[in-house]
Amino acid sequence: MPFPEGVYGLLAEFDSATSLTAAAAASYKDGWRRLDCYTPYPCEEAAEAIGFHRNYVPLLTLVGGLMGCVAMFLLETWINIWAYPLNIAGRPYYSWPAFVVPAYEWTILWAGLTAAFGMLAMCGLPAPYHPLFNAPNFRTGATSDKFFLCLEARDPKFSLVESRAFLEAMHPVSIVEVEY
Amino acid sequence: MTNAHGHATRALTGDPAASLGLMAGWRRRALTFGAVFTILAIVLVVLAEVMEHDKFLHLLTSWLMGAMLCWGFSLGGLALLMVQYCSGGKWGLLIRRPLEAMSRTLWVSALMFLPILIFMKKIYLWARYSNPTDVAQALERGLIDKAQAHALNWKHPMLSPASVWVQIVICFVIWFGYMFLMNRWSLQRDADPQPNVPFWQKRFENISGFGIVVYSLTLTALVIDLVMSTNITWFSTMYGLAYLVAQGYAVLALSVITVVSLSKAEPMKTILRTTEQHDLGKLMFAFVMLNIYLNFSQFLIIWSGNSPEEISWYLDRIRGHWGVIFTFDFIFHWLIPFSLLLSRDIKRNKRRIVMVGMWMVFARCWDMFLLIEPNFSPRNLHFSIGILEYIAVPGAMISFWVVAYIGQLGKRPLVQTNDPHLAEILEAEHAHA
Repeated sequence: MPFPEGVYGLLAEFDSATSLTAAAAASYKDGWRRLDCYTPYPCEEAAEAIGFHRNYVPLLTLVGGLMGCVAMFLLETWINIWAYPLNIAGRPYYSWPAFVVPAYEWTILWAGLTAAFGMLAMCGLPAPYHPLFNAPNFRTGATSDKFFLCLEARDPKFSLVESRAFLEAMHPVSIVEVEY
Repeated sequence: MTNAHGHATRALTGDPAASLGLMAGWRRRALTFGAVFTILAIVLVVLAEVMEHDKFLHLLTSWLMGAMLCWGFSLGGLALLMVQYCSGGKWGLLIRRPLEAMSRTLWVSALMFLPILIFMKKIYLWARYSNPTDVAQALERGLIDKAQAHALNWKHPMLSPASVWVQIVICFVIWFGYMFLMNRWSLQRDADPQPNVPFWQKRFENISGFGIVVYSLTLTALVIDLVMSTNITWFSTMYGLAYLVAQGYAVLALSVITVVSLSKAEPMKTILRTTEQHDLGKLMFAFVMLNIYLNFSQFLIIWSGNSPEEISWYLDRIRGHWGVIFTFDFIFHWLIPFSLLLSRDIKRNKRRIVMVGMWMVFARCWDMFLLIEPNFSPRNLHFSIGILEYIAVPGAMISFWVVAYIGQLGKRPLVQTNDPHLAEILEAEHAHA
């Protein structure tokens, strides 16, 4: 796969989450779909403004939890019936009440792990390289006190001149053209 | 309008009389249900007497079920009121007045306990054979077995008519004291010309923190006396705690039903935001989990212990047709609310969360039936007219309790105004999907 070249997108910098959200909502309304917001802390309004209403993390968590539950229950069943049957106080080998606690623990464990790693995977992490870090103001401000909106070149509406004019109408602090 | 943080705020406007109109409608409906259930109960009691010579046993045991449920709402309301004062949080402000209204119905449940205490000999072995001579005679005549005789003598200091009367009177005196103070201070706080936030918060926290401890002890005493002792030989150290959590389960469900249904009119329309409704839904979910955790732990410990004096309680509930009721209890009480409350959408949808709440109240009733009746028909569940009384009698009692509850709810403004959470809850909410 050839390494992409050229313009990644236009990056507009804002001073507050409110102005970022307003700009993001205006862009989404204008028809932009390949766009993203970058904030120093989680900002639900901005995510919702660009059409992020739901994600697949809850579903992943549920599936992970069920897998953990089934896996541990089957493991215990296999051990106690076939692999290493033990007579414990005369109880049947298949003593499901005793299996519930480890199965429950594994449900929690797998649900937690799939939630964490699923979230990272769906965020596209780990990402050793991201073009936005080519913008100096992004490098210094994105994790402290600046709010960014990036209109990406992949969007069919993208045009260097018109998109810049569109962003300027929203009075950002600055607009930077980001290269791959 | 904006506040100091620059967020847009809303105001408490609108006519509070609209809520009163809603409540009047519910009251009428509850009265109708109460009347229908009462007629049904009378017919069933008469039929049971004529056809089954029931000697009013099922009337009393189903009355016990109804009384325990109504008392659960009123005392549980008082307890959750204390919890929310200690924990803080906007969800607490939201359900504070409904909880206060529940606690003020304590006198209704006190009245409901009277027939049980008066006719205790019909239900409880410890009331029928209340001294060692009676116990020995009953054992000789084969009316009780050796284990029961031993348990009756051993548990006599706690389980005897005089002792139970004293315990229940003390418990109710304590609860009425807490109920009176917390309800009075709540009005005084609103009437205070200054906000005096730290003063009021400390005052409520101090009474509530200790009150929660007192509540858990007194509740344990009462449920041991009135429910656990219907099987004189059995005991479980988790019973009080499991009962406490189940009480919270039902009370929280009822509070959610109340505030969400009230949000059709002001002031709840403004006050109830999706965020706090979601929080309440998460709390319901927590109670569903805690409830199954305690109940399953009790089962697992008894099952592992494999001791004949403990396992009988479960055998009484899984043998024969009781097994069906028991399985449904697990499904109703845990599986269904758990699966539903996993969903974020259901927690945030007004109509759906009310339906889940109603389901949870129903599941609590089902569970109460399983706590009480197997002690009176342990071998198997046979259909009888007496069993049907478990629908009619508690149904009527709960309906009339609801009438009292709504009456109390209408007596005060639905939102406490002197609380810093009010300003937060009046902030406009984030954008929503």
